[in-house]
Amino acid sequence: MPSNCLKTIKKLALKFLLLAGVLALLDIVYLYTLYPKDLEANCTLMQRSMMPVEQQADIVYLGESSNHAVADDEEDKRFISDMLQDLLPDHRIANLDKDACHAGIYYDILRNIPAESPVKTAIVTVNMRSFTAEWIYSSLEVPLRKEQVLMKKAPALYKRMLLAFKGYTHWTDEENAKIVRNALRKQKINYPVVQWKTASEWDKAVADQMNARGVSDDTISLATHYVKCFACDVDEDNPRIRDLDRIAKLCRQRGWHAVFHILPDNEDQMAALVGPELVDILRRNGQFVEQRYRAMGVTVVNNQGTVRDADFRDRDFPTEHYRQNGRQTIATAIAKTNIFHN
Amino acid sequence: MYFCNVFVEINRNDVCHFYNMLFNTIEFLLFFPAVTLLFYVLPHRWRWLMLLAASCFFYMWFIPKYILILLVTIVIDYSAGLFIERWADSPKRKRTALVVSVVSTCLVLFIFKYLNFCSANLVELAQHFGWSHPSRVLEIALPIGLSFHTFQSLSYVIEVYRGHQTAEHHFGYYALYVMFYPQLVTGPIERPQNLLRQLHETKRLDYDNVANGLRLILFGLFLKMVVADNLGSLVDKVYATPGQYASGDILLAMVLYSFQIYGDFFGYSIIAIGCALSMGFTLTDNFNVPYLSGSIREFWHRWHISLSSWFRDYLYIPLGGNRVSVPRWAFNTLVVFTVCGIWHGANWTFMLWGAAYGVLLIVERWLRSVHLFDRINSKAGRAVVGALNVGKTFVVVTLLWSVFRAPSFSDLGQLYAALLSNAGTEHLAIAPHIVAALVCFVALDIATRHIRFDRWCGKLPAPLRWSIYAIMLFAIIVFSSVEQYPFIYFQF
Repeated sequence: MPSNCLKTIKKLALKFLLLAGVLALLDIVYLYTLYPKDLEANCTLMQRSMMPVEQQADIVYLGESSNHAVADDEEDKRFISDMLQDLLPDHRIANLDKDACHAGIYYDILRNIPAESPVKTAIVTVNMRSFTAEWIYSSLEVPLRKEQVLMKKAPALYKRMLLAFKGYTHWTDEENAKIVRNALRKQKINYPVVQWKTASEWDKAVADQMNARGVSDDTISLATHYVKCFACDVDEDNPRIRDLDRIAKLCRQRGWHAVFHILPDNEDQMAALVGPELVDILRRNGQFVEQRYRAMGVTVVNNQGTVRDADFRDRDFPTEHYRQNGRQTIATAIAKTNIFHN
Repeated sequence: MYFCNVFVEINRNDVCHFYNMLFNTIEFLLFFPAVTLLFYVLPHRWRWLMLLAASCFFYMWFIPKYILILLVTIVIDYSAGLFIERWADSPKRKRTALVVSVVSTCLVLFIFKYLNFCSANLVELAQHFGWSHPSRVLEIALPIGLSFHTFQSLSYVIEVYRGHQTAEHHFGYYALYVMFYPQLVTGPIERPQNLLRQLHETKRLDYDNVANGLRLILFGLFLKMVVADNLGSLVDKVYATPGQYASGDILLAMVLYSFQIYGDFFGYSIIAIGCALSMGFTLTDNFNVPYLSGSIREFWHRWHISLSSWFRDYLYIPLGGNRVSVPRWAFNTLVVFTVCGIWHGANWTFMLWGAAYGVLLIVERWLRSVHLFDRINSKAGRAVVGALNVGKTFVVVTLLWSVFRAPSFSDLGQLYAALLSNAGTEHLAIAPHIVAALVCFVALDIATRHIRFDRWCGKLPAPLRWSIYAIMLFAIIVFSSVEQYPFIYFQF
């Protein structure tokens, strides 16, 4: 290597070293000036992690919109977590819910709860829809991913840089549609009674059959959404299972009780529109989750089938938004678990 | 380690191909140093191959299969160059090779960029006259930067035809000339005399090149991420619902858009120039303080220079240039600027935008012939006239940007209806850091009007220079928008 080249390399290396020093200095400046504001503006999840300490709560309730979605005409507008609080007056529950959340986000919230918190139990909502492509690649996922960046254990300036340079999983609405379409083609169904091998095939078949029968577009859309949202084999490779594994492990490490409660879905509507096979698949997936985490020492409350069609709020999309009876049923089932009464 | 985590996360989600490797993404922050380092590590004979592979990788990161379109254009124009050279003594055959190359290259551009537009307009026309015309829409996305590399490829064939450039016999070098990653998707549109020649040269690691290149990248990122994207978030709000805003705020948004598009495109160009310079390649400067222009004519000498000079050399001059009668010149000017407008996008608004510039240039020439300000002789008087001209040009350019930005005439109508009615009550709230960024941009633009930013910065005392680096770095990381704003010129 020529000597002038070596000289240039040395000079450049020195400048990069200086640059690293400048960045370290900027990190300190950022940490003590704008970082707290950034957290406030861009990371509501972090604020949620702080709530158990602020509220001196011994139970944290992690959920998505199922917790707080109420109907306008209801008298009792309490959330599931509120109802649970009323059922467990000796405990203090911090509600850490956020729309479209799932186990991956719950893990980050739990991981960021300060060590000095009085938390003893983590109640984690398990939404069976969150295991499928429609939710995994939902457009609502991008803002959550953005928030996750700021929750990383890394220097503040580095995390802000990831936000600035889009260093997180992101997609536009247009790309999102393609991703979901591709993912549904890979969403396998291994169920003897069902002749279709993927959610995509089943989805198309349902749409074709209903079209041939002259069913309205809205009903077809609802039926095919049921297929997209529930037709899958949940196994240990599912990203949500990996997240739940991490939660179970984290709770064990921190000495917390973990309670996973599986949300009920509208099986009546599902069976009427698509058929009982889809309900069987859903139940089978629920049992998989139940058995897996019971074996890991987690308390699992399986609420599948406990809420009937009349107690679901939304009629035009498969959601887990319940009317007050539904919310009360779920809260009661969780409150009955032994860990709150020993 | 952190970077690795990002990639693990991306791969795990199996959606890699949906990520755009824009200059302002984490992917590019990894790609650029890796390519530059490899470039200097490899011996000269392997560098073209590595750069070509890197450029393919860069392009395929968007939509992989579209590289085939690029390959078609490359093969056509590479072969045309060879045929033109071989048939140098036969003008007829030489011309045939040129025509075949130009037509087929333009055909590719037409199919992907204009076919759906033409088809939609034909259907509308047929409906208007009550004729039956089947609506055929191709389900295709516009390959990124198609207009740019098409023009660069055409430039090569024409230059070979004119005898200003020898045909490139090495397919790899020619492909690299079209695909050179820094300027592949949004220019600057390079001439073969400049870039192709440099690709053959042996580049040695040079401190000044690397340092200047990095300075330009830093400045470009500042313009894009701090100035343009933050302004974009404000401008988008007003343009989405102009009726809700007061006239003053709509006017403000129009002015801000002028700076947004400038920051965005200038930012991209300067990053591209910086990336190339880090490896020792000099690309054409694309901007020269356009908003200090005293006339529309001057504006087009300072804005998107590589495109305006392309149109000048390959369309305006062949049509006769200035050496024709005034009516013919006016016609030529209108043609050139209308084509320039439609080059930007398949939309009537772009055509109107381009044609309006043509008309303005004609009016400007007429006004010059009237000698309105010839009686003003004092220095101060001339300075005032100069300042007024700059102001007038900026106002005209800003008004025309609103045509450029509008998705349709109906949107444009809504914008101007809201502007004239002043019925809205909402106001734009501009954060102090955005104002500061804009002021810095204008100040730096003026400070560097005679000398490019990298060289200007290099001449500053080290403490001041490093303070600028630190401020820019901090602003890029901390004050950039958390929303994603692709480069505006990517759509072309």
